[in-house]
Amino acid sequence: MSDSSRAIRRQAELAGKPRASAVWLIYMREMRDQLRDRRTLFTIAVLPIMLYPLVGMLLLQIAQFTRQNPTSVCLIGTENIEGAPPLFEGETFAPELIEQPDALELLTYRWDELSADRPVRDKANEWVKTGAFDLVVLIPPGFKDNELMGDLVGTETKSTSAEENGESDIELLFNVGSDQSVVARQRVAGVLAAWRGEWIKERLSGVGIDAEMLLPFEWSDTDIAPERTREAAFWSKLLPFIMLVWAMTGAFYPAVDLVAGEKERGTLETLLCSPALRSEIVWGKLGAVASFSMLTALLNAGSMLLTSSLVFQHMGVGGAGAALGAPPLVPMLWLFVALVPLSCLFSALALAVAAMAQSSKEGQYYLMPLMMVTLPLVMLPMLPGTTLNIGTSLIPVSGMFLLVRALVEGQYGTALFYVPMVATVTGSCLWLAARWARRQFEDEAVLFGGGEQWELGMWVRHLWRDRQIAATPAQAYACGAIVLVTLFFARLTISEMPQDFAGIAKLVMMPQVLIVFPALIMATMLTTSVRQSLRLRMPHWTTLPLAVLFGITLHPSYVMLSKMINHVYPVSEEAAAAMKPFAEQIASAPWAAVVLLMALVPAICEELAFRGFIFGGLVREKGKLRAVVLTAIMFGISHGVLQQSIAASVMGIALGWITLRTGSIVPCILIHFTNNALSVSLGRIADSGWSAAPVFLTQTELGPSYQPFWTLISMGIAVTCLLYFGTVSPATDESESELVGSHHDYVDPTASLASA
Amino acid sequence: MIHVQHLTKTYEDLQRGRFVAVDGISFSVQKGEIFGLLGPNGAGKTTVLRILSTVLEPTEGIATVAGYDVVRDSAAVRRHIGFVSNNTAIYDRMTAWEMVEYFGRLHGMKSTTLKRRLEDLFDQLRMNDFRDVPGGKMSTGMKQKVSIARAMIHDPPVLVFDEATLGLDVLVARNLLGVIRSLREAGKCLIFSTHIMSEVERLCDRIAIMYCGKILDSGTLEELRDRHREDDFEELFFGLLSQHEQEMRVGGRIDHPSAANHGVGEQLV
Repeated sequence: MSDSSRAIRRQAELAGKPRASAVWLIYMREMRDQLRDRRTLFTIAVLPIMLYPLVGMLLLQIAQFTRQNPTSVCLIGTENIEGAPPLFEGETFAPELIEQPDALELLTYRWDELSADRPVRDKANEWVKTGAFDLVVLIPPGFKDNELMGDLVGTETKSTSAEENGESDIELLFNVGSDQSVVARQRVAGVLAAWRGEWIKERLSGVGIDAEMLLPFEWSDTDIAPERTREAAFWSKLLPFIMLVWAMTGAFYPAVDLVAGEKERGTLETLLCSPALRSEIVWGKLGAVASFSMLTALLNAGSMLLTSSLVFQHMGVGGAGAALGAPPLVPMLWLFVALVPLSCLFSALALAVAAMAQSSKEGQYYLMPLMMVTLPLVMLPMLPGTTLNIGTSLIPVSGMFLLVRALVEGQYGTALFYVPMVATVTGSCLWLAARWARRQFEDEAVLFGGGEQWELGMWVRHLWRDRQIAATPAQAYACGAIVLVTLFFARLTISEMPQDFAGIAKLVMMPQVLIVFPALIMATMLTTSVRQSLRLRMPHWTTLPLAVLFGITLHPSYVMLSKMINHVYPVSEEAAAAMKPFAEQIASAPWAAVVLLMALVPAICEELAFRGFIFGGLVREKGKLRAVVLTAIMFGISHGVLQQSIAASVMGIALGWITLRTGSIVPCILIHFTNNALSVSLGRIADSGWSAAPVFLTQTELGPSYQPFWTLISMGIAVTCLLYFGTVSPATDESESELVGSHHDYVDPTASLASA
Repeated sequence: MIHVQHLTKTYEDLQRGRFVAVDGISFSVQKGEIFGLLGPNGAGKTTVLRILSTVLEPTEGIATVAGYDVVRDSAAVRRHIGFVSNNTAIYDRMTAWEMVEYFGRLHGMKSTTLKRRLEDLFDQLRMNDFRDVPGGKMSTGMKQKVSIARAMIHDPPVLVFDEATLGLDVLVARNLLGVIRSLREAGKCLIFSTHIMSEVERLCDRIAIMYCGKILDSGTLEELRDRHREDDFEELFFGLLSQHEQEMRVGGRIDHPSAANHGVGEQLV
């Protein structure tokens, strides 16, 4: 009997695991299916091969067109510079004053030629406004007074004569709305500066001084970067971007076709009732989508590379002489190493998102939001000055992007240091995305639901009529979004730091009210039980003193974490200065008021909203991990300041786990309160003269800090507390029940069969 | 081969709120028997059959197919069942042969046996003339044949036909009924759902009449006729439906699966 039961158990274990052969079979079918599809072939093969040469051709055409359109400059008042060093020569400026004189067209007028009917300035104004000229140089009659030799001794007489004659300075009329005009202004300003230099030289030589003698030093620029690096730097910025955008696009269309399209055509149900496991279907489809994503990215990037390097060579981009050629190929191989995980990541995301659509058409609508979320991650590394460091290496996609750039540029040492971080982040993102995709395939509502007409009135009625004991995941998401958005706008309204305690109290209370209010309103309106939806349950009594102990012993670690974060992302001096009056006010206010304001209120408000309403919604439908991670992230973001956000997110994970284990927010309120209360009281405890204080605390120039030995011991106690929390049985397990309160019991079929 | 007990399935629905699609039904089907599930559209037939094919999970109750539980041993159930439905379409960009072969492979069949089985099936269902036609270019009848071949490729002991004659012309539908009869001769266990009464009369050994998620009555054709003293099957069907509607109106809305309803379901086993 035990043998057979063991055999059954082993069989059941094997039954749940995806078989490689089935995954391969599904993968091969999806690949063949996509390759037989005209649209897919067009995107991955025809488009890159045709598009880039066509675009390249167009670019060349446009380049020729722009070259034939040089900057036009008008110079008025030629008679006023007679006797000065030569400024222009025929249709352009004097050759010693200007580089590339061909790209500039110069038309000259005498001042009196134009001043007949109306003021010259008005006429010139109109020319620039209408674009007849990109730039007009006005040399007024008063300029004549600037004699070449000047009056090197008696400047006073000169200035009076200038005043009499009206305007005597050269004026450049340009239009900032036109790029060409701005460029023209820069160039002509350069010409005028050079011309003035000539003038100075002549004046100096007039009084017998050699101009060369006045120059204390010269400098020269040398770019030591070898050709290879310069090209690598250019391509390592551009190419990953192109590749990732195409990897996203290349993942999305097949994903829509393979999930939403199959749903629409009815073939998904055929596949679901075959012996293939859901996980096998997901892995097979994921593989196919990722393959297409990579293929699209490679073909597009390759084609673009080839075409653009040819075009660039032709156009001579990349500085005088050194045309930008094709990128060095070997470093570019690193790109492909990065492409594999990122393609898989995008594919899993696309698959999970596409699963929500009922038809291909609906699926197309989801591309834009997905792009909006991922594109900033791809854009971030393109920003100037973004380099690989601890902070950026922890950002998904961006970190990988920067790592690849370091590899392409040959900084292997730096790259190697960050590989573990980037790999961990990418790996966990990949795991989460794949998990989400799998969950989507196990969800009946996703696979078969939807399709019904949506109507506002009906929806409102549904919200009221179908209220449940706790929030639904959708309501929890909505609550989180409302809280974060209102906080964002509320923070924008704060213009200056208040100078008295009442102002600070207002400042602290406002976000707390904004956090707790949506949760309370939604709990009252959208659920049948406020107490259950806010998770105000009584946990096992032992968890309460334990929570206080945990709060106390966790605090040293929390302080250490905050210090570490401040080290990696230092607070700017302005921000620190802005916070100073705040800290001073807090330090001088009565202790009870400070604890009430900074510890009790946040502990209650934030826990009610994050670990209460939002957690209660997200934890349902088997969302334990989702609830812990997302509430921690929302909790972090709600703190507004980057340094605090990171520390709060980490704290949020611990709080989320504890509330999951206890099924209540009461321990979390206690922990949160203890933590905040200690944070605001450390200074007072250190100053209190309590004899035991020096055992735990030391005074440093940055304020009180924990003794290292106590930090170590407290960590041990905190971990023990955490372990204990792991053993308590929760007040209720919300995650398993689809409808909280309804018993979703499952009877053993063999037992009932025996009776039948 | 098929046992269904107190099976209930509820959906969240925007318009109706919590909607009970299948309401505590029970029935069982033996080997060599064709069980007819008769009911108007929206009666819950497809939901029941989708639960049997493990595509949906029941909210409450138990269903076993060939001795395997549809929730716990869903993979084993799928290996022992062939499911043909008008919702189970075929791939547009695969030929008839590739399509059936693909599902044979998913069942883990060896190449040689698979090839022999494919040849047999294509002969038996007269599919050889469109072997290499891609799904997108097939007629409805051809598609249905491919679907049946797909469901039969692994020679399952249980076959489920959900509104399988929908949209077929008379000739093809007749052909299909012939195939189903021959499957009964081979000792298979068959469920056949439809809203066409004549098909049920001609084909099924036992019938369950489903309406609003409930089985109103079940038994052989003769048993039903005797019980309701009505020779004309169509009259019998409408009589049962209107009787149920009246009961609903008198007893108020009985929408929730309660203990009382379970009792009703049990009598029908």
